[in-house]
Amino acid sequence: MAEDSQASGADESRRETIRKLLDAGLDVEAFPRCDSHEQVQAVVRRLQGLDANDLPGRLVVAGVTNFTVEHPEAELAQPCETCMYYLVHRNYCELPELDIPVEPDWSCRLWRI
Amino acid sequence: MANLLWLQGGACSGNTMSFLNAEEPSACDLVTDFGINVLWHPSLGLELGEGVHKLLRDCVSGEIPLDIFVFEGTVVNAPNGTGNWNRFAGRPMKDWVRELSEAAQFVVAIGDCATWGGIPATAPNPSESSGMQFLKRDRGGALGAGFVSKAGLPAINIPGCPAHPDWVTQILVAVATGRAGDLKLDEFQRPATFFTSFTQTGCTRNMHFAYKVSATEFGQRKGCLFYDLGCRGPMTHSPCNRILWNRQSSKTRAGMPCLGCTEPEFPFFDLMPGTVFKTQTMMGVPKDMPTGVAKTGYIKLTAAAKAAAPAWAEQDIFVV
Repeated sequence: MAEDSQASGADESRRETIRKLLDAGLDVEAFPRCDSHEQVQAVVRRLQGLDANDLPGRLVVAGVTNFTVEHPEAELAQPCETCMYYLVHRNYCELPELDIPVEPDWSCRLWRI
Repeated sequence: MANLLWLQGGACSGNTMSFLNAEEPSACDLVTDFGINVLWHPSLGLELGEGVHKLLRDCVSGEIPLDIFVFEGTVVNAPNGTGNWNRFAGRPMKDWVRELSEAAQFVVAIGDCATWGGIPATAPNPSESSGMQFLKRDRGGALGAGFVSKAGLPAINIPGCPAHPDWVTQILVAVATGRAGDLKLDEFQRPATFFTSFTQTGCTRNMHFAYKVSATEFGQRKGCLFYDLGCRGPMTHSPCNRILWNRQSSKTRAGMPCLGCTEPEFPFFDLMPGTVFKTQTMMGVPKDMPTGVAKTGYIKLTAAAKAAAPAWAEQDIFVV
């Protein structure tokens, strides 16, 4: 229980850091969205090449936004809350290369359902 | 007494290894309890050289009644359609396959290679391999689409890489004991009793599939392997989670994505780099949907299921 509480506190602290970075206008690569498997792999490879502590770098490469992006061609909303990497009860992105606390209405270009 | 002959073409012997591990019934049970007389098998046969040659000739001529002809591995046609890359007992194996199939009461193709060509027939298919009556999804193969054995059945296809040992022995028992008429074959000539349900049927990760919780790395005991790790369990016909392997487990139970090895297209995407153990998507939506599920319905269901997911579904509940 104490561990859960600590994890929750750490998540909230990091979520706040991310929120501030995005609110401050961090120039993320939200487009092009990763439509094909090859595009997904290219972005994942770039994420794998980043320093583990480079949080802004990860947000930029994955194209994390603090609002939901609708795919322009598919006309498909791509919020974290419907993504396969999203843990509903922790508000967390479990994609190993991203591994960040998020909000349900945020979005990124690695979204998959 | 039913005479059985088992030959191998372009094969790794994986189906023989599987067959020898059968338990219900075992390979020995076939002989002692079900009256199967194994005329010859590459790993069990006693005859060598001219002895095998004579046995094969006698089967073709009818001097030895051939009740069940089992073939494992691809029918190799290279080079240039001659079949000389796979010679056996003095001639191309493909010639033995054709003549023995015509002489047999029943023909049983074991494993992916014998059924649809499997890995050897993957593009560019340098060995010009085919299955007995299919090349991947296309009818024809080595025996031709219209082939039926003396008993009136097409080749009975038992796919898998390898086929589960009990699928093999149970079908052989059915044929040897005069119950072949009870076998219902599907469009790919697979026994419906084994290949109507899905690999997913009985999977211990079904709750994670239902609540759309994904496994994101190998070794995770929580999460469904379909969403990210390329599992083909929801669209592969096999009883792998009903008739367990070694009576213990299955790929998906052990955390290994189903590769879809009982389907004609296996190995999928011609093994292109990045296609194995990774769910292929288009605009974030899986290219291959669970069988019978439409894209729009899938998207709606996913949103609703994720919203309804209980906390335990996101945790490892298989604690030790």
